[in-house]
Amino acid sequence: MKPKWIGLGILIIVMAAVIGYFILTPKPVDKINGYLGGEKIGLFEDENFKKEMAKKYSLELNYRKAGSLDMIKADKEGMSYLFPASQTALELYRAEIGSPRRYEIILNTPLVIYTHSLVRDSLQEAGIVFESNGSYFMDMNKFVAAVKEGKTWADIGLPQLYGSISVKTTDPTKSNSGNMFAGLLANTMNGGRVVDSTSVYKVLPDLKDFFKRMGYMDTSSADLFDQFLKMGVGSYPMIAAYENQILEFAVTNPDIWKKVGDDLCIIYPTPTVYSSHVMIALDEKGDYAIDALMDPVIQDIAWKDHGFRTGISGTQAETDVFGVNGVLSQITGVMPMPDFRTMDIIVNELSN
Amino acid sequence: MSKKAFISVLLIFLLLLSACGGSKKNDNQNSGSKQNVFGTGGTLIRIVSGSENKELEPLIEQYCKKNKVSIEMTYMGSIDIMRQLQAGAANYDAVWPASSIWISMGDKDFKVKHTESISLSPVVFGIKKSLAEKIGFVDKEVSINDIMSKINSGELKFCMTSATQSNSGACAYLGFLSGLSGNPEVLTKEDLQKQQLREDITNLLSGVDRSSGSSEWLKTLFLNGNYDSMVNYESLIITTNQELVARGEEPLYLVYPYDGLSISDSPLGYIDRGDKNKEKAFLDFQKYLLSERVQSELQKLGRRTGYEGVFDENKGVFKKEWGINTDRILSPIKLPTADVIMEALNLYQGEFRKPSLSIYCLDFSGSMAGKGEKEVKEAMDLILDQQKAKDLLLQANPSEVNQVIFFNSDVIDSIIIDPSTEEALNELNKRVKDQSAGGGTDMYRAMTEALITLETYDLNKYNPAIILLTDGESGGSFEDFKAAYEELGQDIPVFSIMFGDANPEQLEEVAKYTGARVFDGRENLAGAFRSVKGYN
Repeated sequence: MKPKWIGLGILIIVMAAVIGYFILTPKPVDKINGYLGGEKIGLFEDENFKKEMAKKYSLELNYRKAGSLDMIKADKEGMSYLFPASQTALELYRAEIGSPRRYEIILNTPLVIYTHSLVRDSLQEAGIVFESNGSYFMDMNKFVAAVKEGKTWADIGLPQLYGSISVKTTDPTKSNSGNMFAGLLANTMNGGRVVDSTSVYKVLPDLKDFFKRMGYMDTSSADLFDQFLKMGVGSYPMIAAYENQILEFAVTNPDIWKKVGDDLCIIYPTPTVYSSHVMIALDEKGDYAIDALMDPVIQDIAWKDHGFRTGISGTQAETDVFGVNGVLSQITGVMPMPDFRTMDIIVNELSN
Repeated sequence: MSKKAFISVLLIFLLLLSACGGSKKNDNQNSGSKQNVFGTGGTLIRIVSGSENKELEPLIEQYCKKNKVSIEMTYMGSIDIMRQLQAGAANYDAVWPASSIWISMGDKDFKVKHTESISLSPVVFGIKKSLAEKIGFVDKEVSINDIMSKINSGELKFCMTSATQSNSGACAYLGFLSGLSGNPEVLTKEDLQKQQLREDITNLLSGVDRSSGSSEWLKTLFLNGNYDSMVNYESLIITTNQELVARGEEPLYLVYPYDGLSISDSPLGYIDRGDKNKEKAFLDFQKYLLSERVQSELQKLGRRTGYEGVFDENKGVFKKEWGINTDRILSPIKLPTADVIMEALNLYQGEFRKPSLSIYCLDFSGSMAGKGEKEVKEAMDLILDQQKAKDLLLQANPSEVNQVIFFNSDVIDSIIIDPSTEEALNELNKRVKDQSAGGGTDMYRAMTEALITLETYDLNKYNPAIILLTDGESGGSFEDFKAAYEELGQDIPVFSIMFGDANPEQLEEVAKYTGARVFDGRENLAGAFRSVKGYN
């Protein structure tokens, strides 16, 4: 073989190797990190979600679990996004850090009450809970009245439960679902009107009393929900958490759901408040993650497998795919949360 | 790179290396730990766990054998696990305390994820059935005040774990406080200041006749000793009963105080440091523990599990005649907030618990000269200097009694501090520092001297213990000590903390005879002290 041909041969081999490298090696996946509210871990750990993210967007979303309000103040070194469960957290970000480079509401889910049939039936008899078209609702005025009166579980026919009627929540100063329940209670105590930075002072003593009686509180809605499911009605007679949590659990654990599904109940507070899961980008990769999460396929996974309502209206046509009784297709009676300044007053008062 | 620069880089590197080694040792020092490793090769998962999970070792071993994974279990009290988390828990990949509160109080920077409750067990009283019948606790709703009245009348004494070390002790204690405060919705700081409560809780804790640093060891102590009752997890009382019945002895009757009940939820969580392989290995192991087969095995060990309660096949484990009814709703008290819990624990250590009567026998024989002597002095400084002691939640309660006996082949000197004020303890600390080593060794002689002190105290009012700080090489006669011990006829544990060129043989013999344990003070001094003090 002539030397000239050898040279060309080598060139061809090298070129083929280079081309082959680019064709055969998958695009490098961008690994990014951020803080995530515990209620969305199921979604971020979902294999389909991960595959779709990697395939379409070359993205691997890592996370560290943190409460929605805690994460705003946490160390953000090496973090590309924050994904809290509320707009209050976004407002807190604006107040503490400044205008975010980009943010977007990705998912929605209402705040609901979970309990066991035993408790629901007693509450219904006591007139605090009512039923309509197979769904259950809690009259927040009546609930607050019962709490103020100091009614015990024994008073409504449940002597086997310890203490006064109450709803357990996460720590309202650290985690979003508890924070939202505090906002909802404040509105209710204010005669059903949204409290503002003046009217809030009237309701603070009762509000503080409510949370003081709760003692130790979880800081993550995922942990609270897990404990509610496992520790039984005696430990957690009623909790406030997100609607998506029970839907996700039913989809992910169909065998267990078959056995326990009839005992677990979802009750919609009237009015209720909406949790808007808003992603805040901290750098370019965070911007990109927002685009990826708005992808219709991803949004479909979020609803069907994890129970997050998507789109602006939050109306979902198919609610019976989950096998959970009494899920509303449209959430009505939604009340706005108090504004950030008012919530700040509430959080400060509850921190003391 | 110049030669000089190269050498300095090398030096820095070596320094870093030794610093890493050093810090590892320090961490161990704070832990009071004991490790067991299962499996060989594969990904290693290092779990720091409550001692109650020791019973799960056969299940862990099975898993490691079948899968390419190794699991290292380090046992610690739940409160020490919380402290580890606060300090970053650098030596561990996962935490498995007895209750979620310790994770959320310890995990300040949100490193722990994938937390799942593995099993449940309420903290209850197990009382010898004949005694439970006698005091009218069978088939009856029992309150904390009912229990207190039986303690006040002298009819009931119990063993429990230290509230400042172990979750079962802490939960029981918080339950006592709540019950004695007249069942408030939740315990507050104001409640803790009330004089009546302070008197009542001190009375109730005076009924503790043996204390232990860990729940699992409390069970061992109970099975080897002669006690009427203990506060422990329902699961450990069930396995205790299985053993008692196998021996043909009387089982314990379980009492669930309705106004002071708490439940351990045994959460297993992963400490995330970005290692994906490890995370997967962890999740697989967690999945195994939550599988129906393993959950059923856990039920056989007396644990309640999961969403649907006890499976039909295991109903027989939870025996009605022992007072257990799994269909009944368990309604625990609400746990107070973190700051109230910490305040309550400090009060327990410094004021409420039954005062200890500790007799330290310090070996100043010739073989201890140099290293051993220095180590013993450092050790005593840790417990006598109240500032250092408080950092470890080991501070002295003023009404406790401390004695130091310096010995070689004879008793060199002996000093009793009563009451144990800070000044008096400082004086004692100085005296210890002044002592120098020399002469032969007879630890039995010193221990017998300690028994003479014990004879002069009303031991119902104290948690007595003899604590030997020695290298363990002793002449003299164990038989002589035994004779004196039998004559005193009291249950006095003799703990040993080893130093110098330690030889544990003789010490193990003494520990076994008196229902105590031997600790290595050279590797793990703070841990050894925390362990010993957990027992008295």
